[in-house]
Amino acid sequence: MHPGRQLAVLGFIFVVLYLLVFFAGASGGWQERLHPKLGLDLIGGTRVTLKASTLNGQPPTSQNLEEARRIIEDRVNARGVSEAEVVTEGNQNIVVSVPGQNRNLDDIGNAAELRFRKVLKVTDGSGAAAAPAPSASASGSPAPSGSAVPSGSPAPGGAAVSSSPNAGGQGGGAPAPSTSASAGAPSPNGSPAPSASASPAPSGSPAPATDLTLEQQRAAVQQKVGAAAWQAASALQAPADFSQDPTLADKLKPFGELSGREVWALTPEMQFNVPTITCKQLDSRPPASIRDEKQKVVSCESGVQKEFLDVAKVLGTDVKDASGVLEQQTSQWVVSLEFTGSGQEKWTNLTREAFNNDGQACDQTALGDQGKCRVAVVLDNKVISSPEIQGVLTGNSQISGSFDSKSANELAGQLRFGALPVTFEPQEQQTVSATLGSAYLKAGLLAAGIGMLLVAIYAFFYYRLLGTVIFLSLVLSGVLVFGALVLLGRQIDFTLTLAGIAGFIVSLGVAADSFVIYFERLKDEIREGRSPRSAVPRAWARARRTIISANAISLMAAVVLYIVSVGTVKGFAFALGLATVLDLVVVFLFRHPIMTMFANTRAFLSPRVSGLGRVLDRAEPDSAKPGNPRVKEA
Amino acid sequence: MSGRGGLAHRLYQGEAGLNIIGRRKVWFTVAAVGILIAILSMGIRQFSLGIEFSGGNSFQVPASVGTLQQTEDEVANALGKLGPTEHVVSTQRIGGTSTVYEVRTTDLSPEQATQVQNDLATHFKIPAEQISANRVSAAWGGQVTERAILSLVIFIVLVAIYLILRFEWRMAVGAVSSLFLNLILTAGIYSLVGFEVTPSTVIGFLTILGFALYDVVVVFDKVQENTRSITASSTQTYAEAANLAINQTLMRSINTGLVALLPVGGLLFIGAGLLGAGTLKDLGLVLFVGMAIAVYSSIFFATPVLVTLKDYEPRIQAHTRRVLGRRSAVARGEVTPKGARAPRPAEEAEVDPEAAALAGAAPKVGARPTGKRPTGARGGRPGGGNRSGGGAKRR
Repeated sequence: MHPGRQLAVLGFIFVVLYLLVFFAGASGGWQERLHPKLGLDLIGGTRVTLKASTLNGQPPTSQNLEEARRIIEDRVNARGVSEAEVVTEGNQNIVVSVPGQNRNLDDIGNAAELRFRKVLKVTDGSGAAAAPAPSASASGSPAPSGSAVPSGSPAPGGAAVSSSPNAGGQGGGAPAPSTSASAGAPSPNGSPAPSASASPAPSGSPAPATDLTLEQQRAAVQQKVGAAAWQAASALQAPADFSQDPTLADKLKPFGELSGREVWALTPEMQFNVPTITCKQLDSRPPASIRDEKQKVVSCESGVQKEFLDVAKVLGTDVKDASGVLEQQTSQWVVSLEFTGSGQEKWTNLTREAFNNDGQACDQTALGDQGKCRVAVVLDNKVISSPEIQGVLTGNSQISGSFDSKSANELAGQLRFGALPVTFEPQEQQTVSATLGSAYLKAGLLAAGIGMLLVAIYAFFYYRLLGTVIFLSLVLSGVLVFGALVLLGRQIDFTLTLAGIAGFIVSLGVAADSFVIYFERLKDEIREGRSPRSAVPRAWARARRTIISANAISLMAAVVLYIVSVGTVKGFAFALGLATVLDLVVVFLFRHPIMTMFANTRAFLSPRVSGLGRVLDRAEPDSAKPGNPRVKEA
Repeated sequence: MSGRGGLAHRLYQGEAGLNIIGRRKVWFTVAAVGILIAILSMGIRQFSLGIEFSGGNSFQVPASVGTLQQTEDEVANALGKLGPTEHVVSTQRIGGTSTVYEVRTTDLSPEQATQVQNDLATHFKIPAEQISANRVSAAWGGQVTERAILSLVIFIVLVAIYLILRFEWRMAVGAVSSLFLNLILTAGIYSLVGFEVTPSTVIGFLTILGFALYDVVVVFDKVQENTRSITASSTQTYAEAANLAINQTLMRSINTGLVALLPVGGLLFIGAGLLGAGTLKDLGLVLFVGMAIAVYSSIFFATPVLVTLKDYEPRIQAHTRRVLGRRSAVARGEVTPKGARAPRPAEEAEVDPEAAALAGAAPKVGARPTGKRPTGARGGRPGGGNRSGGGAKRR
């Protein structure tokens, strides 16, 4: 390629990079747009303390706490290459610190228990005391794809759309050991028992509460609402219709005053049938209150629709992998799920059951537009969506809702890393100052400056004029790295710590090496008697081979470390890969064309200027003398 | 020529003629001693792990007591009474509805923590309950280490495969063994110096990992080039060709070493000299030592290992015998060197076969990149007639 063209490509890359730096997702003044994201050690960040909340008030075991710490760390790291810090503090706190001010850490401590439950009945939960509005507000458009085909392809399966943006977490939790629970799983036509093969989470976390305390709490609530209200509520067989019986509204009024924890103590039937219990109350039930997969439960969708849900037949532990993807046809973000082997079977059975509406388990009010059952995707205490099942699904599935790319990926991350064995209540979000601070940042930059100066001095001493090529390419690398840092900081949360800065200083030095290799080759070629002009392309051909082999190793290290490692090491791998790629860019698109151009100038031929001096110098008398002085030196 | 025969000049010309391969027993001994010292040091002195690995304690003091610096000093004071190894790791200001200062320290026993808490309470004249003392866990969990080691193993396997495909298995062995030498020696020196192991240290380690291999590949690339069709001619043994390759890349190795070490030296100087502690110092030391050893081991360990392995290859053994045999025959005058070398029979004969074998010296014909072409090789010489045109242009 013509040198000019290579430089043009470099210029193009440069312009595009800086256009992105200034205009892609940037805001604020010119200076603000040029700030790379700095790490916790340099500028501090945001911290939230998660306090373990168990229903029995005991602190969790240290193993559970450590496992929760690890899962939360995975979740934080999945948000980007941000070098967060997650530590346990004392015996029941987990402290999460991420770089940058005002970061949203609200959902980080969600238990993320995922459950798939058939929707049996639906009623209004907005507290408007209206008659049940069968699927009036219910569920949205069915899935667009051919998912209605029974045993369809593994194309994104049929979970259709609904609503509710509650990003939460996943499931797969410990089944409560209490088997006393009321509703046994009515699984018709011999489909496998709900959780026959579901492996309980390794944690063995405590059941939400024992029967005893539940009974006690229930008794306390009974006292609070009064006997009359309690009786009226217990007598209800279906959601009370106040238009039929206006007196009932008064009787049931005390239920509207209950706290989330008190509501939790009621039977699911009561929670569902008493209209004065609103979705707001249901949503504020303590964490993990509807985690038990063997229980029928009540939960809310979009904060207005109260749903009575079947036992959970597919759990978070049945999900093998999850990822946020942009659905092409609807251009909406969804979370795509891949089930494990046994999970897939359970999911197929569940969809068959829902599709056929076996035993008419689903109430008329709960059916979707096509007259099929809906299956609710329940995350912690809330229903994310409840699509109508339009076929028996044998492939992967997806959860839709009103996600954007961020919330879809966050939910996918939570599903992927598993549910927390402990539930947490986030405390106040705080800001933390830098651990090292600006003095260290300055010192790091000073070190970089000194290092670069020394390299430049050495380059000029050794390579003379060609030292400018090194110097310029160092400056160029520096500018490219900086641009990439700013851009990546914004796009994928790439965060620069002091160690990262040091790493880049080193990488600049190493990058200069590819020039050294090139130059030594050039010397060899000229010593062999080539003219500088013909030596440049030959030296380049050989040096290129070496440079590519050597950089291939660095890239390999970066890729392997990035894929396999976690945490800080992953961040390092990313930086290494970035530095290596930029090195190749600078070598191919800057140094080589510049050298080619240099070779055609008069200055290059002057021994004093080019640093090739002594070689050139010496080739001169050599060619004059017929003898071979070299052997003597040996 | 004699006027310019200084070592620097010869280095520059790639003709230092250092006999490195011939003295490989020395280098192996040096490496063995180094490894022994490193392992002893790691065994006896061990590593002092930072709070990120071992966990530590945190104290939160209300901001009303004074400045961040005062708090830090006071905690340091209280720790000083406990023992020489306890120290403050980091200090942060935490803002929320109420501002507190958080000071993290090295791992303390519950009694020690209570003592520090009481000391602080007495000094700041606040009730001890207002100071919260907690143990904090390691931020660098065991999982991070496990995954890092796993990826290291995968990487080394992949690199070995790559090197086998790109070069040959002996070079892969040479490169990987020099990598291990590098890591062991660096770790040994780190434990000798006694700096605390922090995540930065680990990152530094991973950096030199890539650098060491990179360096070896550059040298091996030259060795491979010099020895590509070595068995086709009988002018040079494998060991000589490899030695020549080292000499030819020596200047490059020195340059690379300097260019890479200068910035790291700046880092170490600033980190240890001006700031006295922390990330920069740890990282600077690991990088400086690691890179210096990487440059050393690519020359004095990787290539000798390669040549030693090569010497066991029958094809190379036979070739070496042939070269030496022919050389002594030439010396005795029984065989005339091939016609192509006619201009220099006398010089060739001057060379003592023994010395030549040891020195691997003469950066002779076959050694040049152009050496692939047996006859054209001489064309590559500066004195070669077919190049005189090029010489003329130089004006």
